[in-house]
Amino acid sequence: MSAIDLALIATFGPLGTALFLLLLPGLRRAGKAAGVISVGSAIIALGSALQLALRALETPELGRVTVQWLPHAQLGVASAAESAIQVGVHLDGLSVSMLVVVCFVAFCVQVFSLGYMAHEPPADFGRYFMWHSLFLFAMNTLVIAPNLLQLFLGWELVGLVSYLLIGYYWQKPSAARAALKAFWMTKLADMGLVAALIVLFKNTGGFEWTAHPQVAGVAGTVTLLLFLAVMGKSAQFPLHVWLPDAMEGPTPVSALLHAATMVAAGVFLVARAHPLFEQAPSTQLVMAYVGGFTALFAACIAVVQNDIKKVLAYSTCSQLGYMVCALGSGSQVAGFFHLTTHAFFKAMLFLAAGGLIHAVHSNDIRDMGGLFSRMKITAGAFIIGSLALAGVPGFSGFFSKDLILEEVFARGLYLPGIALLLAAFLTAFYMGRVVLIALFGEPSSHAAHAHESGVSMTFPLILLAVPAIGAGYYGATLSGLYGEPVHFHVSPIGMVATAMGLSGLGMAYFMFGAPKGGAALRTAFAPVGRFIALGLVDKAFLNGYRYGLRGLASGIGWFDRYVIDGLINALGYGTLEAGARLRPLQTGKVQDYIYAMAIAMIALGTAAAFLR
Amino acid sequence: MGLSAYLMLAAALFSVGLYGVLTRRNAVAVLASIELMANAANINLAAFSRFRAEATGQVFALFSTAITVAEVVVGLSLVILLYRSRGNVLLESASDLKG
Repeated sequence: MSAIDLALIATFGPLGTALFLLLLPGLRRAGKAAGVISVGSAIIALGSALQLALRALETPELGRVTVQWLPHAQLGVASAAESAIQVGVHLDGLSVSMLVVVCFVAFCVQVFSLGYMAHEPPADFGRYFMWHSLFLFAMNTLVIAPNLLQLFLGWELVGLVSYLLIGYYWQKPSAARAALKAFWMTKLADMGLVAALIVLFKNTGGFEWTAHPQVAGVAGTVTLLLFLAVMGKSAQFPLHVWLPDAMEGPTPVSALLHAATMVAAGVFLVARAHPLFEQAPSTQLVMAYVGGFTALFAACIAVVQNDIKKVLAYSTCSQLGYMVCALGSGSQVAGFFHLTTHAFFKAMLFLAAGGLIHAVHSNDIRDMGGLFSRMKITAGAFIIGSLALAGVPGFSGFFSKDLILEEVFARGLYLPGIALLLAAFLTAFYMGRVVLIALFGEPSSHAAHAHESGVSMTFPLILLAVPAIGAGYYGATLSGLYGEPVHFHVSPIGMVATAMGLSGLGMAYFMFGAPKGGAALRTAFAPVGRFIALGLVDKAFLNGYRYGLRGLASGIGWFDRYVIDGLINALGYGTLEAGARLRPLQTGKVQDYIYAMAIAMIALGTAAAFLR
Repeated sequence: MGLSAYLMLAAALFSVGLYGVLTRRNAVAVLASIELMANAANINLAAFSRFRAEATGQVFALFSTAITVAEVVVGLSLVILLYRSRGNVLLESASDLKG
């Protein structure tokens, strides 16, 4: 089977499942069966992706097939035929590794969902898996896209599925609002992608990300617009506000969409469109600073959250900031390598958190406490994920985070680099805090009856633990896939970062884990916590949207009521008035009409005689 | 006498007919005026036929006469119906289509 066929199977298998479940409501409402079918198609997709990965290790450039979608004639652009609007499959190291990450995490999450969602009504259960299959299709469409147009299609589709899954508990007003918020924020940002596509098409006649000779002049504009979309999708400051709210969705959804794959689509886009971004150093600089700031900013917020999912959500923002910063420094490999490792350990963290939530029926870490002794596998997975996230040597996060810091400092971006170092400290601190409170703290009443989850919820955790620990050791191999190979070595920056991470863990221990309890330290930092907890950016957006949109809406409302409606009413009134004025002409007397006819005939005859 | 004399006669007759159509209140008189106008046309046909030495015009005049007769039949029956429904044959009484 050719590589292209494998990619098509990985993409259209899940679509088939989604359509199957959509068109056969009986099957969907059966629940369990729908889940099994969905997992089955995920296994097939994963198998295809792994097969592709094995081939890609030999030759990264597996091939490219495109078919014409729209001829140029329909678009009114006369240009060379080879740059027509195309869709297809583009397989290289980057897309194949992303395909593996997506399919692997999707498979783990779907298996986990079988257990996690087991108490849902069967119809909702089937709906949930239908969206999951649709997501896998959409994400793979995005990943294998040979040009930015197809990428955009997948991009919007995953946005749609994200909306649907955040709003899975649509009966809950907060979930419905969170879904809308995510949709609004990302659509706002996606305007950038649309504009970028338009500019690109106007200047090059195509949607390729390759360095077209005519692109040089507009590269800055295009990449800045693309970065706007990336900021929305990958939750970069100040468009990050939707991601924490997206935690209203079921926890496995958060793991798959809002931690591992969908939010990383922005990072993938930048890595994909690397040739474009390379020509726009100013955009890269913006990215480095935005990424660095987001990493630090989100880490600060994560410190004060008590909702375990909120901590992880802000942590995702922060880690995406790392990736964006790395891409801004021009290192595609560092950014994408961190995407890979982060996808594994963050998905694992979220799934483990889901297991904990499932056990105590609460998101609050203070309701957990002492869960380690009750749920060894889940808690162990959570600890492994936390250590990987904190960048403890030996775990995957350590390798990718060090690579990013090294690249950022090597490019002379000291300010973002220092922000990243501080964020590394905070990351270790907040993860240490969560682990110490939730897993080792005083058991609460909720946690008293907690017990280990079933095999469908522990098996994916064990499966994910393998790459979460091990992916780092294959960094050199993987980076060979993405682009230029990178040699991992011990560097001063790496040592500083590790020291930061370890001291963060240490501080967390002194504040939350030590026998004395570190009450003095906690009081000392309380005002900082309160300031962060105000959520100023979120409020700014809320008010901005509320008053900005309300003002805009009332303006448009006025225009509609008085100008548009006025025009329509004027037209109607004019018609009535004209009718009333012309009405006396119709006397009903035959002779008047004949009189008019006679005059008209004479006039016509005269005109014909004179105008000949 | 030349052709123009006949044409002048026809035009005069037509004008008289038109005047009658426009001014008479009685529907029967209006019908009679229409006859005058039709016959003005017939005079033209006959005159042209004569001066161009062709039979076509006269044949047409015959046809025209026949059609005029048919029209009068229809017209008079309408007048009868008008009389039955209104009790008179005044044209202004039949102005139901007044806007």
